[in-house]
Amino acid sequence: MEDKRSFGQKMDEFLLKDSTFILLIMGAAAAIFAGTFMYLKFGTGAFNDISIVAMLKEGIDTGDYAAAAAFAAGFLIARILEGPLVGLLDIGGSLQTGVGIGLPALFLSMGWDLPFSNFFVALLAGAVIGLVLGAVIMIIRKLMPEGVAVGGTSVMMGAGNATGRYLAPLIVLAAASYNVYAGLGAVIGAAAFYKWGKEMTGGAILGAMIIGGIFI
Amino acid sequence: MLEIVIYSAIIGIIGGGCIAAGAARMFHAPEIQSMGAFRTLGELNACNGDPISHFSFGLGFFFSSAASAVAAGAMTQDVMHRIVPNWGAAVLLAKNKKVEETLHNPRKMMLSGAVIGGLVVVFLNTVASVIPEKLSTIASEVLGPATSWLINPVMPAIFWLAAVDAGKTTGIWGTVLGGVSALITGNAVPGVVLGILIGKSAEENGYKSKIVQILIAIVVILFIAIAYFRGFFGQF
Repeated sequence: MEDKRSFGQKMDEFLLKDSTFILLIMGAAAAIFAGTFMYLKFGTGAFNDISIVAMLKEGIDTGDYAAAAAFAAGFLIARILEGPLVGLLDIGGSLQTGVGIGLPALFLSMGWDLPFSNFFVALLAGAVIGLVLGAVIMIIRKLMPEGVAVGGTSVMMGAGNATGRYLAPLIVLAAASYNVYAGLGAVIGAAAFYKWGKEMTGGAILGAMIIGGIFI
Repeated sequence: MLEIVIYSAIIGIIGGGCIAAGAARMFHAPEIQSMGAFRTLGELNACNGDPISHFSFGLGFFFSSAASAVAAGAMTQDVMHRIVPNWGAAVLLAKNKKVEETLHNPRKMMLSGAVIGGLVVVFLNTVASVIPEKLSTIASEVLGPATSWLINPVMPAIFWLAAVDAGKTTGIWGTVLGGVSALITGNAVPGVVLGILIGKSAEENGYKSKIVQILIAIVVILFIAIAYFRGFFGQF
């Protein structure tokens, strides 16, 4: 039998198979977990927002990872149960927060730093985590009866999004009590970004860094 | 430096490709499992297949991601949620305006997502790693206190009030687990989050449903384990 379809068509078909999801989540989890490795090693590269990365940072600084691990576990559990039911896995809660912050915090709290021994080990560890999550999601998809739903994700997301909004004023306050130039910069940056309709958080930090960098 | 570039490229290509393919699959869900976010789906639809809209939407988030990466090494969730899918779509749509053949096609989105992902992650990590030490000192002096206030007590208060506003069942679960969590882990947020999860699920499915029982079991084990490892039981 000669297969007349081109490679592209076969690939299209393959990527639209339900079970291919496992491969995609493996790649995504590997990248995000390795991103956290980058953050631990080079101080940049975590795939999450400042407020959530700060929880991991607090763990690194104090050695107490409980808050980060338990917080992210909540989002991971919620999204893994919800994802298969609606056919759409939220990568923010499940992968970026759960795999990127929660599991690293859990591993580090147990003193298990093997997954972070080098880049390729981290990439592999992330892929294995993705494989496990992908398998769990596929199993739930097959087994879960219709009409059963995990509630609360919209409440959690709403609160999560509200949290981000608080960061900008807090940054201005922190900058103001740190140094007069940093404070002035933060005020100017926040006001300018607000006027332009951009995230005030970014404006406040950049303003503090630019004016502070010139005058301090 | 070279290390950061190479690692970032690998991360961006793999992650960007897989997530963009997952995002294209959103248009075929729920028949096949996809990944992304409902808001991403809404935003992709809102740009209506116009490459300029997709590009400028992503660009707005690119600037805030860059600021956040420079300040705290946190690239934000938007890199994978918004920049990669929207710029990936913009690249494809510039050549072919039919969304069915571009944005909805996982293979094409995977290719463009991998390229965009690689470029964006390399750029953000490189910029973040070359900023002068003085500037990163200012950033951490400012962000340190701000984020620690945020983590405690601002976040517990926000999540707590969200739980309380979501009905009596959720409010009680949030309050009790939040309090227990504050005692055990020093922060109420994990408990409130899990309380919202259990409370809302119980409200919607009843306590007899398997999923609620599994959730309660997971949470009880989680807290007992944390309490044990943190020596909480020794305080009595």
